[in-house]
Amino acid sequence: MIRRLTVVRTCRVAIWLAMAWGLIPAAATAQVYVGHDIPRAGNVEISGGAVWSRGYDLGSATAEETRNTGTGTGPFVLFATDTRADASIGLQGRIGVYLARSISVEGGVVVARPKISTALTGDAESAPNVTATETLTRLIVDGSVLLHFSGASFAGGKGVPFVFGGGGYLRDAHEKNEVIETGSEYHAGGGVHFWFGQGKHRVGVRADVGVSRRSGGADGSDTSRTVPTVAGSIAYLF
Amino acid sequence: MRRGVAIFLTAAIVAAGSASAAAYLKLGTRAGTRTVTLKWTQLPIRYFVTDRGTTGVNSTQLQQAVQAAFSTWEAVPTAQMSSQFVGFTLSNPSSGDGATVIGFQNRPDLDRTLGATSFMIDTTTGAIVESDIFFNSAFTWSVAAQGETGAFDLQSIALHEIGHLHGLAHSAMGETELRAGGRRVIAAEAVMFPIAFSSGTILGRTLRADDIAGIGDIYPSSSYTRNTGSISGKVTKSGKGVLGAHVTAFDLRTKTLVGGFTLSDDGSFVIAGLDPGPHVLRVEPLDDGDIESFFDLTLNIDIDFKQQFSDKIVVVPKGGGTSGVEFKVVAK
Repeated sequence: MIRRLTVVRTCRVAIWLAMAWGLIPAAATAQVYVGHDIPRAGNVEISGGAVWSRGYDLGSATAEETRNTGTGTGPFVLFATDTRADASIGLQGRIGVYLARSISVEGGVVVARPKISTALTGDAESAPNVTATETLTRLIVDGSVLLHFSGASFAGGKGVPFVFGGGGYLRDAHEKNEVIETGSEYHAGGGVHFWFGQGKHRVGVRADVGVSRRSGGADGSDTSRTVPTVAGSIAYLF
Repeated sequence: MRRGVAIFLTAAIVAAGSASAAAYLKLGTRAGTRTVTLKWTQLPIRYFVTDRGTTGVNSTQLQQAVQAAFSTWEAVPTAQMSSQFVGFTLSNPSSGDGATVIGFQNRPDLDRTLGATSFMIDTTTGAIVESDIFFNSAFTWSVAAQGETGAFDLQSIALHEIGHLHGLAHSAMGETELRAGGRRVIAAEAVMFPIAFSSGTILGRTLRADDIAGIGDIYPSSSYTRNTGSISGKVTKSGKGVLGAHVTAFDLRTKTLVGGFTLSDDGSFVIAGLDPGPHVLRVEPLDDGDIESFFDLTLNIDIDFKQQFSDKIVVVPKGGGTSGVEFKVVAK
């Protein structure tokens, strides 16, 4: 089941990338000006910054006991749980190579410390409600393909929008690093580079928004969750 | 070999100050200054069934119900044990004859006891050398597939008693209410809960997570060692260990409950046989059963504290353990 879903997701990303790739010739023919500030084949980009991921629900459950006959209906609920992963801000570092003006590939690492919270309520014997927590150390190592819309550049070619998609490896270490759980991560989105100055060595900023679909890891292996992400980085091009 | 006859119908002997034992409750005995777990070291367990039934259940049906109960325990993938039905016997299920005998006995004097298990053990090692089970024919019994109104399900009670026969003591995974004439079960999530479900139901034929963790702890298969883990910690009150506190681990992924007890003066507990993954913990006093159903009354079991949850999610590693969980409880 999981394998099949993964294949479907991979195919979707691939199809999506292919569609975006198909836009490029049209964009290229439509472009009026391609400034010399636009990165070109062989340029290397290194960037580092922060990435925010929205929190998400990890599900509710009840701790149930089997009810004796004649003592009511339905299972006996000892207490209820409601678990969620809180929003988190992590650090990311990426390195990419431009294969052409319009396409680059990059690899990256994201490190974050999301907190998992479980609200414990409704105890049958009146134990006080509590929110139990733990903090994960989450590592994502990924690879992406970026399509740069040079035809849509602005500010004399300094600002270049792009879209991206890719996937990677997810590793969650629970508190004290006693337990490691791994999974996969797929992402897609769009953003913009803004380069300062000209020439071979340049500094810029990069902002992107996207969605990240995660399977496995601390969330459990039987579910996938899609969360929005927002990232901002400082980039260096050479 | 020094042998002693010990009857563990509802009590488990644990030595105050000993190293903590694992989850649920296992039968144990003192061997010098140590506490040793009762278990069979010679497998398969060879047993006889009495060649007489009772009203509504003949000896063949008795044997089939007993065999089904043995098979249920032996089907647990994280445990490794076996049994063999040797044959019918005219002997009574009583200790000391060297044979493990299971059958009916008419004990109208035990008006609250559906069945009981007794042992002959090697008191130096805890090895069980004989165990006998009687079902009290003063009650009405049934082997009907869907149960029978007004009759206790023999297979359910056999499953409980055969849990004892393997070395499990009672679990506290259940809720009761006091009524005229004794306690009534409201709900239970362990076959090894000391008080049976009402007559007419077959709910007790199915092992629960707590039972499965317990039997795996005593007779671990390679799967148990590889695929389960444990949580350990302490329960303290005013800085001192609490003895006999019931700690429950709820698996947030499988939605199952497994319980254990603090079994030493410093309040230490270990809950083993848990599926890997995140768990939340709850501690409560032992107030849903008579203390003597669980512990030797010479022990100073503390039931004067309030239920509470742990404020930490505890993640169980596969094939390992998470330690250092601490509950600081307060008096009622």
